[in-house]
Amino acid sequence: MSRTLKLAAVIGAMTSLPITPSVAAAENLKVVASFSIIADFAKNVGGDRVDIITLVGPNGDAHVYEPKPADAATVGSADVVLVNGLQFEGFLQRLVEASATKAPVVELTKGGEVLRNTGEEGHHDQDKAAEGGEGHAAAEEGHEEGHHHHGESDPHAWQSVHNAELYVKNIADAFCAADAAGCDTYRANAESYGQQLDALEAEIKAAVAEIPEDKRTIITSHDAYGYFEHEYGIKFLAPEGVSTESEASASDVAALIKQIRQDKASAIFVENVTNPRLIEQIASETGLKVGGELYSDALSDKNGPAATYLEMMRHNITTIKGAILGS
Amino acid sequence: MRTNWASATAIALLLSLSTSAAHAEEVTAWRLFISDHADPKVTVIDAVDGGKLDTFQIKGPASLHRSESGRTVFAVQGSAGVVTGIASGISFEDHGEHGDIDVEAPKLAGVEIAGEKPSHFVDHDGDFAVFFDGEGVARIISEKAVLEGKSDFRELKTDAPQHGVAVAYGSHVLLSEPNREKPDELPVGIRVADKAGAQVGGIHACPDLHGEASSGNILAFACATGLLVVTHGDGSPAIRHLPYSDSLPDGKTTTLIGGRGLQYFLGNYGADKVVLIDPTIESDAFRLISLPTRRVHFAVDPVRAKFAYVFTEDGQLHQLDVVKGEIASSLKLTGPYSMDGHWNDPRPRIAVAGDRIVVTDPLQGVLHLVDATSFQKTGDIAVEGKPFNIVSVGGSGQTHEGE
Ligand SMILES: [Zn+2]
Repeated sequence: MSRTLKLAAVIGAMTSLPITPSVAAAENLKVVASFSIIADFAKNVGGDRVDIITLVGPNGDAHVYEPKPADAATVGSADVVLVNGLQFEGFLQRLVEASATKAPVVELTKGGEVLRNTGEEGHHDQDKAAEGGEGHAAAEEGHEEGHHHHGESDPHAWQSVHNAELYVKNIADAFCAADAAGCDTYRANAESYGQQLDALEAEIKAAVAEIPEDKRTIITSHDAYGYFEHEYGIKFLAPEGVSTESEASASDVAALIKQIRQDKASAIFVENVTNPRLIEQIASETGLKVGGELYSDALSDKNGPAATYLEMMRHNITTIKGAILGS
Repeated sequence: MRTNWASATAIALLLSLSTSAAHAEEVTAWRLFISDHADPKVTVIDAVDGGKLDTFQIKGPASLHRSESGRTVFAVQGSAGVVTGIASGISFEDHGEHGDIDVEAPKLAGVEIAGEKPSHFVDHDGDFAVFFDGEGVARIISEKAVLEGKSDFRELKTDAPQHGVAVAYGSHVLLSEPNREKPDELPVGIRVADKAGAQVGGIHACPDLHGEASSGNILAFACATGLLVVTHGDGSPAIRHLPYSDSLPDGKTTTLIGGRGLQYFLGNYGADKVVLIDPTIESDAFRLISLPTRRVHFAVDPVRAKFAYVFTEDGQLHQLDVVKGEIASSLKLTGPYSMDGHWNDPRPRIAVAGDRIVVTDPLQGVLHLVDATSFQKTGDIAVEGKPFNIVSVGGSGQTHEGE
């Protein structure tokens, strides 16, 4: 609500000032992106009109990130703050509060279809939010700010390229609201990046089509691929839920191993944001060979195989296909 | 008739179930636990209405510690050689879509751990470690055991008596390493012990070790040379040394507290300064903040992550903006409390209870109440004797009838 209002206020200010604010013309838009994938989208839309600071960088896990005072200062001086929403960034509320930022905080999943985590039972939140009005160290917000609801909604919407287009549209809208003079550029950039996303999606669909239907069940460490599954028809199972915050219990793992045997999973993968140990253990118990590393909630660093969103999605589908067909 | 009546009840019940969230009562409860500088007692005050809830007689004057969960308060009685567990009476349970609060009377938990000169108390994820300086022994007990009234502690011995510290860190224990050449001086490092008590790796040097705190997933010890920074490594704790930056004047941190909501550490550094520390960055990890006079006590605000508070000997409470790294406001609360004299003389201590900052004024026998949002004094509460150490426990949650 307040976000919408803030955004509306910014748009209002722009329309009442037909002359472009000198700030936008004189210097770049200061954009804060909560994590690396959003930063990449923002770079594609903003081009050289924006300066982007990323809070949770390459290979970082935004689910459990603990914001620092310097992050609050960064957010405090931003013109636009881009976040995923759907409680992906567990730190967001306390960071925004501490920053006292006047910038619009734009949830890029707004307007999209939200998947609920229908995952297996057992992914109960640990009793961590039960914290008398005080943040659990840096890990939880307290009851004072209203109760922290652990989302059942799956926040990993970017795992569908279709949704990535929504992120891009929302970014373009946010940039246009903050910098009307650059709006045509942002729209044009979004349009051409959108074409690359369309091509990417076609590639993913073609790759999935080459995988026999009875081999389309695979294992990763946490439930990060619900949207990929929903959009492209590969079934992902994982010992951890939609957040990496609570660890998988022994019974979760046992249930998963049983399910792997029943569903005859074709391949198992480690993820760049999580400890590979649990996956290695499940692999050895089920006789599956670890088929490589998938990028789930963060890009690789710039020398890695997933330095951009396009590279990440290509790397993931290539790795998945290679492991299944090679098995 | 009877059938109709029954079905009407059933409908009423269904209605009440379906709207239970709306009908559940939102309850806020905050309690202050206050020890006396001279008398062996802990006074419990309802921070919401200012009324006294109870007074517990213990064996000696105590320093107080609350657990991370807030369910337990520990009274460490150094001179009496005992540590007493108190159940705060307030607990929270998370139900995903809402949080429940349970409020009962505070009571002595029935757990006492005796030993020579208990000093530092550390809670890490619900495991409490108390270090007994006179024996060089750590005694570790879980919060669960304390709340069940069971004195089921385990013991780890170091090589010598020392003013030490221990942390139960998952399946490992971190123990201070005594100074062998000069047994009266502070410990010289940290040793890691596994579940069986066997040493893992070498000693992590930390000369003049004094001060320990956690913030989020980072634990730190203060040393004469910098901080030891502990994180979860692959299978055992990962420990690295973060040296004080060259830009700092000569000095060291001997008291450390950890940010909540934001990840940072706040330490003393010289008598009239504090240092803000972000151990995750390479350069500018330390930001020094000068105070108008010498520092008496400091505390972080667990609710408004942006603020910490420092009390100085001129009787002022300062609101420290940890984002900007500067004092945002100052408020005169008490008469002067000189830092000349013994370190443990009666001087003010700070606790934050929801929207209130509470400062003890031992020589006047009162607690000063400051509104955390306006940073203005809103009242005080008289407490018999010399109210000294203080901790607060509480928060808001829902209660449901019939549970
Ligand atoms: Zn995730």
